[in-house]
Amino acid sequence: MGQSMIWYLREFARIEWIKKFLFAKTAPLVTPSHFRGFPEPTGKTCQHALFCMMSCPAPGAIEVVHAEDGWMPRISKGHCIRCGLCVEACPNGVLKSGRILETMERERTSLLFSFRIAIDLELCTGCGNCCTACPVNKVADAQMGAGGHSSNDEVIMRVQAGDIVVIHEDKCTGCKTCEVSCPTGAIRIARILEGFQQPVQEGSQ
Amino acid sequence: MTILQQIKNKVRARSIHVAYVDVGSCNGCDIEVLACLAPRYDIEQYGIFVHNNPREADVLLVIGAYTPGWEEKLAMVWEKIPPPKAAVAIGNCPISGCLFNRRESFVDPPVKKHIPIAAEVPGCPPRPTEILQAILLVRDAVFANWEGEHP
Ligand code: SF4
Ligand code: SF4
Ligand code: SF4
Ligand code: SF4
Repeated sequence: MGQSMIWYLREFARIEWIKKFLFAKTAPLVTPSHFRGFPEPTGKTCQHALFCMMSCPAPGAIEVVHAEDGWMPRISKGHCIRCGLCVEACPNGVLKSGRILETMERERTSLLFSFRIAIDLELCTGCGNCCTACPVNKVADAQMGAGGHSSNDEVIMRVQAGDIVVIHEDKCTGCKTCEVSCPTGAIRIARILEGFQQPVQEGSQ
Repeated sequence: MTILQQIKNKVRARSIHVAYVDVGSCNGCDIEVLACLAPRYDIEQYGIFVHNNPREADVLLVIGAYTPGWEEKLAMVWEKIPPPKAAVAIGNCPISGCLFNRRESFVDPPVKKHIPIAAEVPGCPPRPTEILQAILLVRDAVFANWEGEHP
């Protein structure tokens, strides 16, 4: 009896078991570095392409604001869902989150924006508001007056013989200024986000 | 502070009872709260118990974007909790309405308009570690010295 008691105590009253019972702690509350957190700046310069804002699915999560030294995206906690789309969509690698950038490099993936301009000629009155409002047009042809006529071939769109003609859809930056300035709602900009993966050559891995 | 009060503080901070209420979430945050109970995060090792009875609770976890069905009801649940008590908003939904806060939607965030919120845990959903950390911080802030502040 006495011997079995001693045996019992020696078997079960182990110091490490008692320690574990009294100070039970599973793995400490740390977040591994590869988890996607709220996007953080990498230090690269923001070029104000606004692709982060265009790709963000959460209302009010990201805004590109003018900080003291240029533009910078600002994430609002409480709105951001940590999806990482802004990190992937930024063409300049301004943001980082978890190991998204490393994975993109390894897998050779990218998200690319393109923009399509659709004009409903039934609704369009040929007023030229969109042409004069477009900031790209302003740079391409500073002379463009009200009416949207231009002899410059570098503009995105212009009014020719009372009709609007789109010349350089590829230059559109997707800002949608034209949409807002159209009195009849005839012009619509589609923002298209495409994911690409470049093939990895054989033997390169 | 008397010895008795010190003991009460210790015991109170070591025994937190949690109730949670889902005021219109997508269930993502509920699952993360559930994950806190599982062995990996094991919320009970800190002396935190999930009871889901406001009468017994110390901490109320509020999840979701506050749908119209919760008007008055949430305040009722909050009043049923005896002091000391604290409410923690879990996820983006009670903070901002998250993806549901769009035009023509019926949600009415933030929840802190309706009941006092002691801590907010952003994320959609927040990680179990973040939820746990928030509860532990609220515990230290509200319960660890309750006797000292309310003699
Ligand atoms: S991580 Fe997602 S939700 Fe957050 S700011 Fe970027 S795109 Fe928006
Ligand atoms: S979206 Fe912006 S850049 Fe594109 S055509 Fe309209 S105004 Fe010009
Ligand atoms: S602003 Fe609208 S109505 Fe005027 S030219 Fe452009 S698309 Fe046509
Ligand atoms: S914060 Fe996100 S995961 Fe949590 S309930 Fe709201 S939508 Fe769902």
